[in-house]
Amino acid sequence: MIHPSHLKEAARSLLASKQRTVLALIGIVIGIGSVIAMVSVGRIVQEESLRQFKEMGTDILTIDKEFGGGGPPGMPGAPAAGAAAKAALRLDTILAIPSRCPGIAAVAPSVRGSGDISFTGKKLERCSPMGVTASFLNINKLTMREGRFLSDLDEQSRYCVIGSQVAAELQKQGASQLLGSKIRIGDNLFTVIGVTNEVPQGGMRRFEPNEMIYVHITTGLRVFANAEIQSITARVSNGTTNNAARDQVMAYVASLGKGQAVRITSPEEIIAQMEKQMQMFTLLLGAIGSISLIVGGVGVMNVMLVSVTERRREIGIRRALGAKRGDIRGQFLIESVILSLIGGLFGIIFGIGASWLIAHFAKWQFALSFSAILLGVGVSNAVGIFFGYYPARQASLLDPIVALKSN
Amino acid sequence: MLTLRDIRKSYRIGPTEVEVLKGVSLEIQQGELVSIMGQSGCGKSTLMNIIGLLDRPTSGSFMLDGAEVSYSDDDALSEIRNQRIGFVFQQYFLLSRLTALENVALPLVYRGDKGNNTLERCMELLKRVGMDDRAHHRPNELSGGQQQRVAIARALVGNPSLILADEPTGALDTNVGGEIMELFKTLNAEEGITVVIITHDPGIARQCKRVAVMKDGVILS
Repeated sequence: MIHPSHLKEAARSLLASKQRTVLALIGIVIGIGSVIAMVSVGRIVQEESLRQFKEMGTDILTIDKEFGGGGPPGMPGAPAAGAAAKAALRLDTILAIPSRCPGIAAVAPSVRGSGDISFTGKKLERCSPMGVTASFLNINKLTMREGRFLSDLDEQSRYCVIGSQVAAELQKQGASQLLGSKIRIGDNLFTVIGVTNEVPQGGMRRFEPNEMIYVHITTGLRVFANAEIQSITARVSNGTTNNAARDQVMAYVASLGKGQAVRITSPEEIIAQMEKQMQMFTLLLGAIGSISLIVGGVGVMNVMLVSVTERRREIGIRRALGAKRGDIRGQFLIESVILSLIGGLFGIIFGIGASWLIAHFAKWQFALSFSAILLGVGVSNAVGIFFGYYPARQASLLDPIVALKSN
Repeated sequence: MLTLRDIRKSYRIGPTEVEVLKGVSLEIQQGELVSIMGQSGCGKSTLMNIIGLLDRPTSGSFMLDGAEVSYSDDDALSEIRNQRIGFVFQQYFLLSRLTALENVALPLVYRGDKGNNTLERCMELLKRVGMDDRAHHRPNELSGGQQQRVAIARALVGNPSLILADEPTGALDTNVGGEIMELFKTLNAEEGITVVIITHDPGIARQCKRVAVMKDGVILS
């Protein structure tokens, strides 16, 4: 039984023992605050990675060469090249995809290279060569900072375009003029003709754009050791669904025969998978925050138990005047719920503030999570009821005669 | 209106069973002013707890307004206490956080009725006991006699059929105690309220129309 006058009463009795109330509040504020902060940060990280991911557009398919169940060549246990492995994708068949599959607007095949890279005789760390076509720039949403990108006229040329990280490395090595500098990849010397803008990490790209040295794919296929096209990025035409486009490519590759096969990944699949992972991550963070919430709840229970003990006589008087057990229980439950809700309110502010700070220093985009606020209100209410129930029950079970006699 | 028949109450203290009330029979009519008098340890507090429905007898019958009440469940007893019994205690037992007016209104809180004119009624009762000018004071700003007056107003607020007073003058000096007794007598005479006063003081008992003397767990006269 809850009477409106109990609300006023509860507020008054909480105010009567300020110090204790404040101490219990701190526990709840920290508890709720850490749950909110954790969940909120989880959400921000999730939004952040999805945003990076979506920046490239969701109309991108990644087409990978299917390996005959053995893994890429060169890996232990992989079948010998050319034996059980599926046949290599030929550049001309790949470049024909947009004309054969109306659902695909453009393709950008790429080939990865290896080998030592050096500049004026000094080895360059953290960079890797890649053979690409002119369409690569647009499909991967890259932009030029200086010079120009590779064009279809650069077939077999010894030109290269470098990422911003590589450019910085060259400047550190003393290159005063980036364009025209010469980089050695293996036995070949390449002339820098352009520099791409810096790009945030992550997303659909399977490479680190800032650390790349791009050469024309025809050059790459010729000079890189064991060069083989393993990955193609394709942009889906306007008005075609990713699934339709995927089916077209599958059919086209199958029609080639000769044991060629590909695996196609659409952004939806990756996003769904990421979201699932992120949910687990958020849940985990929330669980960690809950530990401090439990500590806060025990604080509330402690304060309420002391309050019941101190107010035994009051309980006796109220019982004599006609309060039922339920009335007494309700009175103390309201007190603990009010305590927890006030704590929850400050906790929400504290938690959102903390997550804002974390986002600010991590340079993530802050997002206010309404579900976190609802969670905070709900959880603090639940804490009040859960940890307040036992003391309230103790109070309601007091024998009125005993309660009246106590001081 | 109040009939006790062969009320017995025993407590188990360790292995021994102590019988505090050994067959109390008592009948009180509507409008009586009765005192139950006896030395401490005679069982009058236990009897008062049973009449006040704060405790249940081990055996015997207790009829209030013609209905057996002693063996009802806890909620039912609370409701009867709230509706039909007004308590006045030796230590006043006002809640220190509440004003005099709020203390008087307290029993009405547990009635569940909204009571639009609750405050009016409480003010009226404070006026009746001569405390209307102290309505917004808290108990620690009032003297003992004033606190007991507020407590009497609180006992009256629910229109009870019975006022049960446990040593109501026990904490007051003689003069103030006399004033409180006068108040009880006036309420009894003018409004016909049944008053039962439990006391060990023959001087107080003598002022009541009827005295029931208790000794060793039984009523002598």
